[in-house]
Amino acid sequence: MIKAEHIYKNFGDIHVLKDVSMEVNKGEVVVIIGPSGSGKSTFLRCINLLEEPTKGQVQIDDQNLTELSPKQVVKVREKVGMVFQHFYLFPHKTVLENLIYAPMKVKGLSRDEAVARAKELLKKVGLFDKINQYPNKLSGGQQQRVAIARSLAMEPDYMLFDEPTSALDPEMVKEVLDVIQSLAESGMTMIIVTHEMGFAKMVADKVIFMDDGQILESNTPENFFNHPSTERAKDFLQKIL
Amino acid sequence: MNELITGFKQMAPSIPYIINGVWVSLGIALGASILGFIGGILLSLCKIGQVKILSGLAHVYTSIFRGTPLILQLAIAYFGIPQLFQMGDVNPLTCAIITFGLNSAAYMSEIIRSGINAVDKGQFEASKALGVSYWPTMKDIILPQAIKNILPAMMNEFITLTKDSAIVSTISVTDMMRRSQIVAANIFSYFPPMLVSLVMYYIIVMALTYLGNRLERRMRRSD
Repeated sequence: MIKAEHIYKNFGDIHVLKDVSMEVNKGEVVVIIGPSGSGKSTFLRCINLLEEPTKGQVQIDDQNLTELSPKQVVKVREKVGMVFQHFYLFPHKTVLENLIYAPMKVKGLSRDEAVARAKELLKKVGLFDKINQYPNKLSGGQQQRVAIARSLAMEPDYMLFDEPTSALDPEMVKEVLDVIQSLAESGMTMIIVTHEMGFAKMVADKVIFMDDGQILESNTPENFFNHPSTERAKDFLQKIL
Repeated sequence: MNELITGFKQMAPSIPYIINGVWVSLGIALGASILGFIGGILLSLCKIGQVKILSGLAHVYTSIFRGTPLILQLAIAYFGIPQLFQMGDVNPLTCAIITFGLNSAAYMSEIIRSGINAVDKGQFEASKALGVSYWPTMKDIILPQAIKNILPAMMNEFITLTKDSAIVSTISVTDMMRRSQIVAANIFSYFPPMLVSLVMYYIIVMALTYLGNRLERRMRRSD
């Protein structure tokens, strides 16, 4: 379970998040949507404390992250995978090395164990043939699939996706969404920030609409997309659908 | 003109002696750049770190070593400090390598710092998000990328060190420069031995530049 309570985040004088609360239960898929600059990504980054909330609490399982020491936070991050808009694969490492680095370094897996796990995951995302390539030889969609596999190699309990398809060419969006969808179907608990509305409708158990640093709506996809209750959400949906 | 020709003739047997001084020069440059590289990494990590005192000290260190002449630093290290602490005779070569190393660390730290800053912040975050802590991230993810970026600048630093190593002639290390002076004093003719040194320095610097360019191109190929 992930629980964020009354999160505030200021960058200097700019108030990016104003009292944001949310709860995600095990196995749930929550999709966060909203206009650019609404604080979606910042909120997501507050959940694994890549961004330290100015105020408020983040709880993962039975641990209150905001009360933990930096060392303990590092430990908690092991079970929260994150996928970024710009992939951030390690460019000086091959695909395989990208996948085995953290499991060996952090979880203490032997090289054989880590390699076996990496191979399995690469097969799952359909990139086994790229195992010895360097990331810059791959297309954006392939890089993002590797990035997802790299996260999964840590066997996380939760996955955070920060606009995973926003930096991709249109024809590569689907291959990445397919991977995320199959992950959702396997029961992974996920929070996804995205602009892909069709995808949101399909995978979400709950849709959260954010604007101006606040959550305006939190509803099932059917209710949200068919009967948005706020003017802001209606306006937003009209513009993008 | 005749004098010059006589000078060259007189010098001829000493040419190997002068040229062999190149190993002293290169040795100093190599030793100093290894020290400078290690010191530079430590200093740059202090500078970008969160600990205010360390970053302050690192900045002061850099400022002093970059803000004073190298030849003066060498004189203080070789003549000043041993006298002050009554250390007796110190080995000039060791002294030179250490001084050059400390000096180079100051320059290197700025190069490495800019290299680290040039690595995408996302690399840090991706590693963090995987549960990797600060030091392994630095060592395995950030520094390898940073060093790749700054390899040309570090090669330049090495070339500068090689040329600047001629300063050690002032503390009686028999490098190429010093050997030229010795030969010159023996045959009372300055131009020929100095010309030998000049040509040698130039050849070495050109060779290093060429090596640097090739290295850079190889690095770029893996991109």
